[in-house]
Amino acid sequence: MSATALPAPAAPARPRHLSYWLGAALLAAALLVALRLIGNEYGWYAGYFVLQYVVLAAAWNILGGYAGYVNFGAAGFMATGTYTAVVLYEALGLGVIPGILGAAVTAGLLGLGTGYLTLRLRGVYFSIATLCLAVVLQTLVVNWDYVGGSRGAYVIRPMTMPGFVSYGEYIFAVMLALAVIAVGIGRTVELSRLGRGLQAIRDNERAAEAVGVPTLRLKLIATTLSGALMGVAGAPLPFYAGYVNPDGAFNLAYAVNTIAMPLIGGAGTWLGPVIGAVLLATLQQAATVTISSALNLWIVGWMLVLFVALAPRGILGWFRKR
Amino acid sequence: MSELTRRGLGRTALAGALTTAAGSAIAPWPALGQGANPIRIGCSMSLSGGLAANGRSAQLAQRIWAEDVNARGGLLGRPVQLVSYDDQSNPANVPALYTKLVDVDKVDLVTSPYATAMIAPSMPVVMQRGMCYVTLFGAGVNERLKYDRYFSMNVTGDDIKGHYARGFLECTKMLPHPVRSLSILAVDNDFAQRAAESVRGMAREYGLRIVYDRSYPPTTVDFTPTIRAIQAQRPDVVFFASYPPDSNGILRAVSELKLSAALLGGGMVGPQIAAVQAQLGPILNNLVTWDVYSPEPTMQFPGVVEFQEKYRARAPAEQTDVLGNYLQPYAYAQMQVIAQSLARIGKIDQEALAKDMHANGFETIVGPIRFSALGEWAEPRNLFVQFQNIADGDLEKYKKPGAKVILYPPALKSGELKSPYGAPA
Repeated sequence: MSATALPAPAAPARPRHLSYWLGAALLAAALLVALRLIGNEYGWYAGYFVLQYVVLAAAWNILGGYAGYVNFGAAGFMATGTYTAVVLYEALGLGVIPGILGAAVTAGLLGLGTGYLTLRLRGVYFSIATLCLAVVLQTLVVNWDYVGGSRGAYVIRPMTMPGFVSYGEYIFAVMLALAVIAVGIGRTVELSRLGRGLQAIRDNERAAEAVGVPTLRLKLIATTLSGALMGVAGAPLPFYAGYVNPDGAFNLAYAVNTIAMPLIGGAGTWLGPVIGAVLLATLQQAATVTISSALNLWIVGWMLVLFVALAPRGILGWFRKR
Repeated sequence: MSELTRRGLGRTALAGALTTAAGSAIAPWPALGQGANPIRIGCSMSLSGGLAANGRSAQLAQRIWAEDVNARGGLLGRPVQLVSYDDQSNPANVPALYTKLVDVDKVDLVTSPYATAMIAPSMPVVMQRGMCYVTLFGAGVNERLKYDRYFSMNVTGDDIKGHYARGFLECTKMLPHPVRSLSILAVDNDFAQRAAESVRGMAREYGLRIVYDRSYPPTTVDFTPTIRAIQAQRPDVVFFASYPPDSNGILRAVSELKLSAALLGGGMVGPQIAAVQAQLGPILNNLVTWDVYSPEPTMQFPGVVEFQEKYRARAPAEQTDVLGNYLQPYAYAQMQVIAQSLARIGKIDQEALAKDMHANGFETIVGPIRFSALGEWAEPRNLFVQFQNIADGDLEKYKKPGAKVILYPPALKSGELKSPYGAPA
C-alpha cells in the first residue's frame, strides 16, 4: 500500500452571503431614492413590470436553470399567487403583504404536489405536464365564481400608503423587496449543496443518483421553492392593477418571458435571470410606449433565436467563455 | 478587411438589435394632431392581441373625430391631439400606460381602452388622479367602484341583468304562435354570463321553460355535440351568448345540423362585424341578435352617415372593419361627449366636466344620451335586430336599410319579425 496520501480536495470558497444582501439592499434603496427624486409615478409602474419578471425569472431558474427541468407553467404558478391574494382579500379583506405570504404557501404546495406527480417525467414530457397544469388551473378559475370567474375580480386598493408618496410607490417597493429576496434565494441555492446536487441532476440524473445525490428530494425542494417564488411574483398583481381576470393572470406572455429571460441572461447562474429580465422587460416596456405595437413578443422571439444560435449559454455564458 | 466570424456576427446582430430598440425608445409618440398648445387626449387601445379588431377600428373613429374637430378650429380654440398606446389586449399593461399618459405625456384628458377587461385596470390610476373618464363598451365596471367621474359609452345601462335580454324575449310576442321552451348556451366570459343571467331571470315572465342551460369554455372549437344536445330538446327559442370566434362555430354547426327554431339568436357578438357577415352569408338569415347600431331609417341620427362615409373610405387601408356598423359610431360619440362638455364649461377642469356630464344630456351621432348617477346610460338601448333577405356574403347590402332590421326597442323598430330561423331567404 502506498504511503503517499492523496491531496485533500480544495475547500470551496465560503460564499459571501452578507455582502450580497448588503449590496442588494443598498442598490434597492438607491433605486427607490432615485425614483422618488425623479418624482414620476410612471417610473414605479414601469419598474414594477420589470421587477416582477426578475422574480419570475429567478424562480424559474431554480428548477429550469440548475436542475434542467423546463417549466412551461410559470403563468399557472403566478396566477395561483394572484388568486390566493384575491381570495384573502375577498374573504378577510387582507392586503398585499398577507397576500404574498399566502401566495408563497399555496404556490409552494402546488409546486410540491406538481413535483411529486410529474418528476418521474423527464425532458419534454415534464414541460408538457407543467403546461397542462396552467390550462387546468385556468379552467378552475374560470368556473370559480367566488374569485369572479370569467368576469374577473376587482380589488379596491387604498389611494395612499403611510410612509410612501403613493400606493404606486408602495407596490413598487414591495416588488423590489421581493426581487432582492428571490435573487438572494437563487444565489443561496446555487452556492449551496442543494445547488450542486441540482446541477448534478441536470448533467446526468442517473449518475447523480448512483453517487448518492438524493434526486427526488432535491427536485421536490426545487419545485416547491420555484413554485412559491412564482406565486409570490403574482400576489401583488391584483393590487397593482385593481382588477384581475383569467385571461390576464394566465397570459401567455408570462410563460414565454419567464423562460426567455434566464435563457438570454444565462440560465444556471443567479445573475443571468436578472440580466435577462432587466434587459428584455425594459426593451418590451420601451417598445410599448414608443413603437406602440405588438413588438413585445416579436422582440422576445428574435432575441431567443439570436441567443440560441449565437450564445446558447446566454449573455453571462458568452462573456465567461471568453 | 477582417474576416467575419460567427462570434463577430453575433455581436453585430446584438448591437443592431439594441441600437434599433434604443432608437425607438427616444422616438416621439405618434402625433395625430398638430399645432401650438394642443388639448392632448390620451388612451391605451388594443391594437394587437385578441381585442385588436375592435380596438383598431375604435381608434380610427377617434382619429376621424379629431380631424373633424381640428378642421372646425379645435376645442376651446386649441387643436386636439390624440396620444395612444397599444395595450396588447393585456390588462396588466394598462396601469403603466395610464401613468405614462398622465405623468410623462401630461395629457389633459384621458379616455378608456375598449372593453371591460381593459377599462377595469385603468380605473385605480384614473381615480387616483381624479380624472373625468368616458369609457367605451365597458360592462358594469363602476358597479363596485362607484367613481363619480366615470361615464360609460355603452347601451347596456345600469342594470344589465334586468334589461339586457328584454328585447329578445319581447320578440317572442311577435311570433305567430305562442312559444314554451327556451335553450341557453353561453361562453364563459363576463359579458356573455351577464347576458345569460338576464335571459334566465326573465324567462318565466314570458312563459318559457328552460330546457337546456349550459356554458362552454372560450377555447371550444367544435360545437357539433352541443348543438345536437340542444336539437334533442326541440326548443322553441334558442338563446346564444357568444364571442366572435365561437359565434362563427356555433352558427356553422347550427347550419350543418339544420337546427331550426321559431326564434334563434340572442346575445351573439360577432354577427355585427363585417368579416363575420361576409363569411357566414346566408347562415345569418333570420337570426335575431343583440346589436348597437343598424343603418335603418330609425337610426339616422345627425352626423352618422357622414361619419360612416369617412370611416368606410379609410377602413380598407387601415385594415379594420370595413362597414363601421358596430362600436365605431360609439367611439366617435365618446369623443363628442367630451367635446360638448368642454364647450359648455369652457375650460379643462375634471370636476366641472364630471358635474356637467351628470347634469346635462348630449347630442351625438348615436342619438341623444344622458348618464345615470353610476355613469351608465340612463336609458338602456339594447337593440335586437334580425338579419333579413341574406342570400350571400356580399357586404354592400349592410350599408343600406333592410339587411339588419330593428325589432326592439319599439321606438326604433324598422320592420317585422320573420320566423322561423332556418327558412331560406
